[in-house]
Amino acid sequence: MLAKGREKMLMQKGNIKMLISALQTLQDKKETNALSTVEMKDKNNKVAEEENKKCNCAVVEARNFGFYYGSTMGVKNITMEVHPCSVTAIIGPSGCGKSTFLRSINRINDLIPHIRTEGVMMVNGHNVYDKNTNLVNLRQQVGMVFQEPNPFAKSIFDNVAYGPRLQGINIRSKLQQIVEESLKGAALWDEVKDDLKKSALALSGGQQQRLCIARALATKPDILLMDEPCSALDPIATGKIEDLIDKLQRDYTIVIVTHNMQQAARVSERTAFFCLGELIEYDSTAKIFRNPSKKQTEDYVTGRFG
Amino acid sequence: MRLIIRRITDKAFTCLTGTSIVLLTLVLVIILGPMVWRGAKAVIFKDTIEFRKMQLDLYNRGSSEDLNTEIAEAKNVRAVVYEIINKFKHGIDTEELIDKSKQIYRQFGKELRYKGITSEEYQKIRSLARDLRDRLQAAFESNDKKIIKENIDYVLQYRRNEYFVDTTAAEFFTLAEDFYKTIENIDLNKRQEYAASLQQIEEVIFQLLGPKPDEPLPALTMERYGATRWDLAVKLLDKLLWSQQWIQKEAGQPLVKIRFSRAEEFAGTKLESLFGYINNNFDKMLKPEFRFYWQYFIDDSTPGHYFGGVGPEILGTLLLTLLAMLFVFPLGVISAAYLVECASDNIAVRIIRMCINTLAGVPSIVFGLFGLAFFILFFIPLFGGPSKPCVLAASLTLAVLTLPVMIRASEEAIRSVPQAYKEASLGLGASRFSTLVKVTLPAALPGILTGLILSLSRVAGETAPILFTGAVALGPLPKSLFDPTRTLSYGSYDIAVGDRLAMLVPHQQYGMVVTLVLLILCLNALAIILRAKVFRKLKGG
Repeated sequence: MLAKGREKMLMQKGNIKMLISALQTLQDKKETNALSTVEMKDKNNKVAEEENKKCNCAVVEARNFGFYYGSTMGVKNITMEVHPCSVTAIIGPSGCGKSTFLRSINRINDLIPHIRTEGVMMVNGHNVYDKNTNLVNLRQQVGMVFQEPNPFAKSIFDNVAYGPRLQGINIRSKLQQIVEESLKGAALWDEVKDDLKKSALALSGGQQQRLCIARALATKPDILLMDEPCSALDPIATGKIEDLIDKLQRDYTIVIVTHNMQQAARVSERTAFFCLGELIEYDSTAKIFRNPSKKQTEDYVTGRFG
Repeated sequence: MRLIIRRITDKAFTCLTGTSIVLLTLVLVIILGPMVWRGAKAVIFKDTIEFRKMQLDLYNRGSSEDLNTEIAEAKNVRAVVYEIINKFKHGIDTEELIDKSKQIYRQFGKELRYKGITSEEYQKIRSLARDLRDRLQAAFESNDKKIIKENIDYVLQYRRNEYFVDTTAAEFFTLAEDFYKTIENIDLNKRQEYAASLQQIEEVIFQLLGPKPDEPLPALTMERYGATRWDLAVKLLDKLLWSQQWIQKEAGQPLVKIRFSRAEEFAGTKLESLFGYINNNFDKMLKPEFRFYWQYFIDDSTPGHYFGGVGPEILGTLLLTLLAMLFVFPLGVISAAYLVECASDNIAVRIIRMCINTLAGVPSIVFGLFGLAFFILFFIPLFGGPSKPCVLAASLTLAVLTLPVMIRASEEAIRSVPQAYKEASLGLGASRFSTLVKVTLPAALPGILTGLILSLSRVAGETAPILFTGAVALGPLPKSLFDPTRTLSYGSYDIAVGDRLAMLVPHQQYGMVVTLVLLILCLNALAIILRAKVFRKLKGG
């Protein structure tokens, strides 16, 4: 069909004599042109597909989102989209509402009494603060890694199998497979494969944090929330976690809150800067750190803040 | 300068804390030491042959052959005691002598009837015999040796009388002669005193050596055996050798206790030799042996805890305590979980919390009455159970009693579980219930176990709540939850209020109390080991 179109176009453009005389040669050319066009189109399609995935529907989207602890404001008027299969960093000074925002994505903030929200927080197209939201499903979709490594006082295996077991998976072989996958996904498998029965609390801090990541991966979430995952770790463990984040972003949408701006620059594609409960600037990481459009952002990233 | 002051205050603080710890230990030793010392005597003591007899009869312990040879040996030594007493008694016991003379008179009358004599003759002999009897009676009752001699001589002149020779009446004369011989050395004015003292002596000897060999076995088990313990025997010996009297030495002064030697009291009489004999042959009579009576902890006891051990009491206490724990553990944990995890901070919950705190301070006797009114009279009959004191009602009452302690401890434990744990679990898609069951409660378990230990100690020692709801002083082991049981706490209470018995078996009372302390200690140790294990598991050991 495409080859025919091209022929038609040429026929409209050129004279018929030439066409007839060059018919033979054209016949040959037509073959090659058609091939290259198909190749080009295919490539274009692939790019378009990837673009689609990256840009079209944000997995997490906040619209005029506000969160209040009683009468105290946590965050307000946040509008931002988190792109799928990328790492989004949230930076900002202490008490600016980074964690509050992160923790409202999977509604873990519900534990605190007297909270109130406004606006919309969409995860995969559903408002999580809708009355009908199934919290169990939501939290299985949105995994979370906390500031302090907080493995349960159980064996390594039981820690990772905790989530799948809640989903009703009780077959030993299936669990074993999930645990292995998750631990491999969290780059911990090689270190602990020989003693999965050991208590998780016997691991080192970095290992514990990776175990927590593995535990979060075991429920097969779409989104992974990380609340300052490296703040309790030494630089080596931090490096390992950052490598892991880099690896994970191929399959998961990651939102990471961090105090460490270098870390944000290293691991994230996009960065949001929060200040006093408001979103100041949200752009690609390179732009935020090299050429921020707001004065406040510039002050913060260059260390002149306050 | 400042540094010196700081050092001094540091040292002073160290000294203060050290002293307080030493004081605490001392107080503990002062309180517990004597109790444990006396309680240990229930298990480790010097027994006597009577104890071994009792063990063989009641519990079938020991070799009967060995014991029989021992008993035979002791019997020979003891026989002398009874002989001396009997001899002395003839001269001293007016009433017995009068009774005997009356008996002889009656027997003689019966004999005469079948002799085939005329009624005239019968009347004559009969009146003569009556005369002899009255004369003897006069002699027995008199304190004047002159009158006695007169009467006895009067009686003895009929010794060769044809009517009386080879008849029952001949005993009149032996009686008269014996009496005369006995009173020769006795101050007759003291006869009443002697009689009273002799009665005491006989009672002590009965307590020491048990019933006389030829007497039938008494109905009460506690009267079948003499002193089973050497310490008791030594006390009784003292009572035998020395009489105590409260005497006012001067007018207007308080009475003072004075010990009199009984040997001096009976000086010159036939009984005098008794005291020396018993004192010298005391070992041979009772054959003391050192004994470790570990069966104390498994033996049943005779009524009044006079002999035997505390086996049923231990079992009953364990049963009640563990049952109460069984009730209080889930109830307490669930209530605590509700208060921490589910209840919002409103007026109703505050009132509930206040009630729980108040309940913890309510006197235990109130719980006892509550148990009686609620469980026995209402709750158990509601489900068709019998309306009487039973193990179930007692353990339920104990559970109610200790519920506040349990709730408060569990509440604290659950509250102190880090929020991060709960968040981690919730973040993985766990419901609140599964978070509570799978994460919060296991993490709070050491604290909850601490609450359990506190409850356990309180429950095991409580007396008042089970007073009306399921404890008995005597009775078999409970066969079902609807039977009453014996317990250590109630047992020691019972001994203490059992007036006379408490004096007789102090080792039993202390033994029971010390057993209770040991039992609680063991239960606590078990719970603490369990808690340590859980704790180590939680900490990743």
